[in-house]
Amino acid sequence: MKTLLSILLLLPLVGLAQSSAKLNKVITKLNTVKDYSVDVEVKADIPMIKILPSKAKVYFKQKDKFKVVSKGIVILPKQGFSEINTFLSDKSKYMAIEGDTSKIAGVVVQLITVIPSGEDNEIILAKLWVDDSRSLIIKTQITTKSNGTVTTNYTYGDMAKFALPSKMVFEIDVKKFKLPKSVAADINQRSTEKKDDKRTKGSITVNLSNYKVNTGLSDELFKKKS
Amino acid sequence: MLRKNTYNEFVKILSKPRSFLGIGALTLLILLIIFAMKADGKSIISFVTASFEQTLSFNGHILNGYLIAFIILQMLIVHVPLLVALVTGDLISGEAAMGTIRMLATKPISRTKIVLSKFIAGAIYTLILILWMGFLAVIVSQWIFGTGDLIVLNSDGLTILQEQDILWRFGAGFMVAYLALLTVSSLSICLSAFAENSIGPIVATMAIIILFTIIGTLDVSIFDTIKPYLFTTHMASWRSFFENPVDMGTIMESVLILVVHNILLVALAIWKFNRKDITS
Repeated sequence: MKTLLSILLLLPLVGLAQSSAKLNKVITKLNTVKDYSVDVEVKADIPMIKILPSKAKVYFKQKDKFKVVSKGIVILPKQGFSEINTFLSDKSKYMAIEGDTSKIAGVVVQLITVIPSGEDNEIILAKLWVDDSRSLIIKTQITTKSNGTVTTNYTYGDMAKFALPSKMVFEIDVKKFKLPKSVAADINQRSTEKKDDKRTKGSITVNLSNYKVNTGLSDELFKKKS
Repeated sequence: MLRKNTYNEFVKILSKPRSFLGIGALTLLILLIIFAMKADGKSIISFVTASFEQTLSFNGHILNGYLIAFIILQMLIVHVPLLVALVTGDLISGEAAMGTIRMLATKPISRTKIVLSKFIAGAIYTLILILWMGFLAVIVSQWIFGTGDLIVLNSDGLTILQEQDILWRFGAGFMVAYLALLTVSSLSICLSAFAENSIGPIVATMAIIILFTIIGTLDVSIFDTIKPYLFTTHMASWRSFFENPVDMGTIMESVLILVVHNILLVALAIWKFNRKDITS
């Protein structure tokens, strides 16, 4: 009876240790990248924003240095590009729980729910769908205090060995957008008829190419104004 | 004779200090806006994009010369009609008030051509005003703030236009804005034909613009039937060039309505001036 009770008490910890191990494999792969630069093409389909596809260069350096350089205007999600990597790298700040397995685009994935242990963390909850066989994150759903929920789907190409995606599709919550009329005086409005976009979800597709990994980017690069 | 009289009328415009007062005021206003944007432009942009910035980050050179030019055009297109009316509003009535109209009417030129020459002189002054505004807004702003993509601020969202796709929009936008100001010029000259004093047509022109603008901005469906025919509704049609895709149908409709207004107002002024009993 005592043995059975011990097994029942220890069972959740065994599960936790397994999920952490799967996540650890992903984190280990992510940590092989000390820095990178990549060319990105951004296509944004966001309610109330009309923008053509734009190009930029993104720089990242461990642990949390991130910079976007572009000639034109580029819209990116506030969260989700590199924050999850930074968050996952500090294992003492969260607890990972293994969930169900499912299939995303024919790939068997393991759901890992990550719950921050501290009160002051910006991330409230993160769900990661991990391809355990390749140690890659296939999908994330991150809920933050200030930015709502952002769902990201990842596609991998040549740089899968570094866990760097070739395509990211962000699905974001967009609150109803209204500009102050004094700022955007649309005085040629011809009727009272409104043409509001009712959608509250938007998507941003980022195609990444021409990765340059571990080239030793200097800290100065991230201090310069783009 | 029309050309010579137009030249004379334009010289008369230039001889009035108020003609330069308008250009001076415009210069001061634009420089003031540029200074304000240089000092605190980022917070103004942030105020506009705040509702999105919780979720999205806008990267790139947002506060650039094109955005400043757009803001200047948007802010001042409401006020420039006053500067136009200030000069063109007394082109006929001012002569009546000064007593020079009788002498003008004795010249070997028809009354129709007198009105036309005043209208053309007013149009040239308006053109100079808008060209100066364009130079300060687009060229000087670019020189100070550089170039980049343009975020157009509409009441229902943002349109982001690429740098290489902007200059022609400003060119076309200024042309339509000029047509709108020309309508103000025609209106004030028309009112001037009915008046005997300088200040009346200027005040009346502004009163009409204010009244029509208020009707246009009121979200009351009862005005929906008349809004499309008010020239003030079409004064901001230049903004349509900054939408993507450009609604050429709407722009051409506005151009047509403004042209019809100009023709009717000049025709009315000619009709009135030809029947005017000049006693002053």
